[in-house]
Amino acid sequence: MPSAPDHLSTTLAALSDPTRRAILARLAGGEATVTELAAPFAMSMPAVSRHLKVLEHAGLITRAREAQWRPCRISAAPLKDVAEWLAHYQRFWTESLDRLDEYLQDVQKKEKKHGHGKLRAKRRA
Amino acid sequence: MATGSFVPKEGHELVLTRVFDAPRELVFKAWTDPKRVAEWWGPRGFTNPVCELDVRPGGAILIHMRGPDGTVYPMTGVYQEVVEPERIVFTSAALDAAGNPMFELLTTVTFAEQGGKTKQILRARVIESTAQAAPYLAGMEAGWTQSLERLVSYVTKHAKE
Repeated sequence: MPSAPDHLSTTLAALSDPTRRAILARLAGGEATVTELAAPFAMSMPAVSRHLKVLEHAGLITRAREAQWRPCRISAAPLKDVAEWLAHYQRFWTESLDRLDEYLQDVQKKEKKHGHGKLRAKRRA
Repeated sequence: MATGSFVPKEGHELVLTRVFDAPRELVFKAWTDPKRVAEWWGPRGFTNPVCELDVRPGGAILIHMRGPDGTVYPMTGVYQEVVEPERIVFTSAALDAAGNPMFELLTTVTFAEQGGKTKQILRARVIESTAQAAPYLAGMEAGWTQSLERLVSYVTKHAKE
């Protein structure tokens, strides 16, 4: 993996702001200039630029260097890391809870068979 | 599907609901007795050679999960609330593949009696990140889960580019 250890937190941090998510959603439909991105928001151009910088730092967007109007483009790679982490986290809980379910059934079966007698014997001892 | 059975609730939590055919006291014990937790914690094929739980507010959680290939994944956390037999709240650090903490998760597990069975609701959300990302995470409550799911579906379409 070429990414730094906490690359994922940088991505999640960049995604934590509703304006930035709206910008990404807009860019998912195709590249756009800063002016075009600022249009739907009641926000100054410098404010929008700051959001774009955060997105760029997280690798979520790229900006053309050559053109004066520097169109922004969404970049999917960091989102893939988020998707992978979510999938991993989901697997952790889904399988853990499946195992908990089996454990609970198992323990109750054992208790029914001989557990109660044993427990009482232990307590008396 | 990356999001699977996770249901975003109020836009900012991951919520998993399960009904166990077991009394609530037993389910609570299965969550709070380290020996019992070690029996089920982690994906299939994982064991927990270290499972130390100081089950009280402020108490520490230390679990070393061992994968089928022998890799050990340490996990640390702190209990925030322990209300027997109905509720456990704890924070835990999400670790990257190299075992470095990335950001903190807050997990709330509630247990309700339901005709001899136990309805368990598990909610998890990201609460803070490493220092580097912390300033940006303040707005995390604003519905990131739903947005992530949209983005994730975007990614699954475009990831191969």
